[in-house]
Amino acid sequence: MKRSNPKWFFLAGLLTWLASFALSLRFGAVVDADWKLIAQLRIPRALLASAVGMGLSTAGATLQALFSNPLCEPYTLGISSGAALGAVIGSALGLQWLLAGLTGSAFIGALAFMGVLFVIAHRPNVSNLSLLLAGVMLGFLGSSLLALWMALSDPEGIQGALVWLLGDLSRARLSGSVASIASMLGLLALIWSRSRELDALLMGEEDALGLGVAVQTVRKRLIILSSLIIAICVSAAGMIGFIGLVVPHFARRFVGSLHRSLLPAVAIWGAAALTLADLVARVATRPYELPVGVVTALIGAPVFLWVMLRKRATP
Amino acid sequence: MSTKPLLGVYGVSYRFGSKQVLDSVSFELERGDILALLGPNGSGKSTLLKAVAGIIPLHRFRQPGCEGVIRYLGQDFTHVSSRERASHVAYVPPDLRAEFPLSAEEAVLLGTSCHSPSTTGGSRSEEAAVRKAMELCLCWHLRTQDLHTLSGGERQLVAIARSIAQGARILFLDEALSRMDLNHQAEIGKVLKSLASDGYAIVLVAHDLNLASEWAGSALLLRAGKQVALGPINSALTEKNLRILYPGCELNVSNSPFTGAPKVFFGGARPDGR
Repeated sequence: MKRSNPKWFFLAGLLTWLASFALSLRFGAVVDADWKLIAQLRIPRALLASAVGMGLSTAGATLQALFSNPLCEPYTLGISSGAALGAVIGSALGLQWLLAGLTGSAFIGALAFMGVLFVIAHRPNVSNLSLLLAGVMLGFLGSSLLALWMALSDPEGIQGALVWLLGDLSRARLSGSVASIASMLGLLALIWSRSRELDALLMGEEDALGLGVAVQTVRKRLIILSSLIIAICVSAAGMIGFIGLVVPHFARRFVGSLHRSLLPAVAIWGAAALTLADLVARVATRPYELPVGVVTALIGAPVFLWVMLRKRATP
Repeated sequence: MSTKPLLGVYGVSYRFGSKQVLDSVSFELERGDILALLGPNGSGKSTLLKAVAGIIPLHRFRQPGCEGVIRYLGQDFTHVSSRERASHVAYVPPDLRAEFPLSAEEAVLLGTSCHSPSTTGGSRSEEAAVRKAMELCLCWHLRTQDLHTLSGGERQLVAIARSIAQGARILFLDEALSRMDLNHQAEIGKVLKSLASDGYAIVLVAHDLNLASEWAGSALLLRAGKQVALGPINSALTEKNLRILYPGCELNVSNSPFTGAPKVFFGGARPDGR
């Protein structure tokens, strides 16, 4: 197994991100954008895309280690949908002042769905694939409840529901985007600082116990951190799928599975990937905009199938 | 100078649901011991090792049907952190598998995580410990290969190296020798013998009685969670004891022409149909 020097992979990620960022400022729905438009709309949007891409990819890598299952990520496990449901219900009940905007209620939603998944994962005879199916079903349930809630509360609510279900970065404001980037970097650093515990989970919980890891404590910590990341991403940008799956798998091919190198690589490339995907979403069908979740799913769903089938081929 | 055994396991019982998986099992280990843990399927061999290694949590010992005392050099294991326990005792699983790409060297490096989980690892001293463990287990040449491209025997060597990198002096090998050709069995046996002479203590779960008697100096025989015999391999591996373990089989015990170790010959099902 030959691996490239992680430094080159980080550098390439950084350059890809910078290039996508620059292109995002240059191109968009309007061809001749003036500086004001760039500053008010495109910079915050590209920053938010970077933060959310970074967050979802990190959460994906974390969940994959946590469940020792390479097919896990926030969207396919339905956790994003729990967060969106939480955010929608929280804002309808007017709880923004109490729970730090939508993020607080999104966090509660994400945590609740994560709890259900853990109960399922610890039942006897639950395989990796059945856990995943359970997550997909949970996601359907959350999304349907969200659409139902929005349709009932407002005749045009179903339009708003689509924004949640397919992802939308257009609501970005500069202050919010900067706060998202900063909190992502902070949470990422917290996970990275104890990356060896994630490493120990790669071969399953039982194995981690044998290696002397206090699995119960580690698990709680990682559940809370990753739910928080997912809540911040989803409350700012809706549900964007597959970034959390594609980016970690791509990065592992270059830097391996140990999280000391993997997490920073995933963060950089996640930021680059979603910035690029959003650029495509804005430009591909100009003057109309595609929801960014459509673009990520177009790339991510085939990758998911590839990962699953390749896994089967080498038992 | 201590007279306390390296590891003492006293009266370990374990109940899972309504099934009494272990019923008051005791044994002691000294440095250099290789103990074979023998018994039919479901006799509680893995459960015993997992309980002592802390994979099945010891706090369950307060529940009805579960009890026992485990001492490392006289120190009660229930009051020891999981991290410290892992630096004394390592459980080597039947097969070391990861769903993720992981080189043999990285897999062994995981063993050192228990010492300093808050650092990001990869220091010089850890790299040296990984190399030393892999050389001891004759698998340093496999270091760059991915785990899933290795053969079962090679993966087992990597798994043993990992538990040595973990710092443990007591190794529990669960089915380490199964699914392996004679060459690999001989190689692992050689590694185990050299580890024992370096002062490691090893417990070996095996279904192949003859292989176990080749490498082990003593044996613990289990049937349905109960201790049938414990002692030097020659006095434990007798026809009388084996009949208790495997009542449906015609068995004969003779001595190996090479080492004099007891060897078991299987003569098919017993004619009295038990």
